[in-house]
Amino acid sequence: MIAMRRPHPYLPWIGQALLAAAWLVLAPTASADDAAAWLDRAADAAQKQNYVGTIAYQHGGRFETSRLVHLNDQGREYEKLVNLDGPAREVIRMNGEVRCYFPDTKIVRVEPRTFRNAFPSLSPQQQAALTDFYTFRMAGRERVAGIETQAWVFEPKDGLRYGHKFWADPSSGLLVKARIFDERNETVEQFAFTEIAIGAKIDREQVKPTWPVTPPDWKVRQSAPSEDAKDTGWTVMRPPPGFVKIVDGYRRLRDAREVAHLVYSDGLVAVSVFIEPIATAAHPFGVSRQGGINVFVRQQDDNLVTVLGEVPIATVRQIAHSVARR
Amino acid sequence: MREQISRLMDGDLEGAEAEAAFRELKQSEGFEHWTCYHIIGDCLRRTGAPTAGFSSRFAARLASEATILAPNTTQKPQPARLPLAWAVAATVAAVAVVSSVAVSMLDPQPTALAKAREANVIRTAQPRPQAVSPDYLLAHQEYSPTTLIQGVGPYLRAVSAGDGR
Repeated sequence: MIAMRRPHPYLPWIGQALLAAAWLVLAPTASADDAAAWLDRAADAAQKQNYVGTIAYQHGGRFETSRLVHLNDQGREYEKLVNLDGPAREVIRMNGEVRCYFPDTKIVRVEPRTFRNAFPSLSPQQQAALTDFYTFRMAGRERVAGIETQAWVFEPKDGLRYGHKFWADPSSGLLVKARIFDERNETVEQFAFTEIAIGAKIDREQVKPTWPVTPPDWKVRQSAPSEDAKDTGWTVMRPPPGFVKIVDGYRRLRDAREVAHLVYSDGLVAVSVFIEPIATAAHPFGVSRQGGINVFVRQQDDNLVTVLGEVPIATVRQIAHSVARR
Repeated sequence: MREQISRLMDGDLEGAEAEAAFRELKQSEGFEHWTCYHIIGDCLRRTGAPTAGFSSRFAARLASEATILAPNTTQKPQPARLPLAWAVAATVAAVAVVSSVAVSMLDPQPTALAKAREANVIRTAQPRPQAVSPDYLLAHQEYSPTTLIQGVGPYLRAVSAGDGR
């Protein structure tokens, strides 16, 4: 098991009520609770609603569309994402496992654990961080994918975070559009449904993988968290304010290399830090970008440090330069 | 001074310290150290160093290359406001600085420079979409709160570029 800091597991409703009561007394502003409650509702809708639609993904100069189907069948979640342009890609989430299919190179990547099994709900510290570092506000009502949505904005208070705007279906709470923007209000990345049927009747067939059995000539690549709980001994000396460590453990990559993996989150986004012994082959150092994710790679003694997350370049860079042995 | 230049290259300097180091780079001795450290770094990383006369050849090629400073109107209509519409025709990443300055001189709009800069950032990132392993992107996605509220949609970040290797 990956060693993990779990400040608070998802609490039953009594616990939540007590927490809410505590916040009425302790919270610096009422909106700290609003922001967390809003996120809870969006997460709950993403998990429980059945929906099918076409999603447009825009980042940099690129624009691509995909088909997304989500089914919650008696508490079990099934999700299928198939892209509609370019080389075929398929992502299947089923029984707590994520599989990504790359038919052109005959590769399937398997992530045995999923976010929902692993990610703790927001700690009070993180709930406070949300409004310490973002201004959370209701924006206008806008029509998206034929739905009269309610828009909400998380505006960063410092330059270490991006801004986030979400458009939610008012009746279900489901997000139908999400936009990340920089300090000039330029879009960094955007996901938007162009059409969606929320509450649709979804058949199990619709969420089945195209390749239910991996063909024998395909390569299966796993990057599971390591089974042994080990202290990595690594830390980020000066994480940006509001970022709290939520994961500290080893991860086994495809060629059985063990890589230290730390995750820091401010409640809205996360930054991953990977540390591994440097290989002899040349590595691309410096900055790169993958949609809304910025990546910074540097060498530290005999180790390769890779930092990535949904934050500006300056933030991944600052974190990368702050990685040290405890 | 050498140490300050080395730290500057590592990104360890900020504010006044960084400014002082930049001033050193304007002196020929400081610039020589900077060049030397970069060649050492390239050799250590085995990324190869430019051959003799690279700078003059590069300057000559740059001078002979046409630079289009107006948006390309024959492009396919792009969704929303895309920075790439500002097609600064620089084909080499290093041209970015030169062309940005040229744009800012010809176009008084304050946003032009910013847009041109962004266009260059995106362009230069494209030739190496695989700079980060999909292992890392997928592992990160599992813990990103965006997955919690947006489902598997954000996994497109990990699968849309690259071929899974």
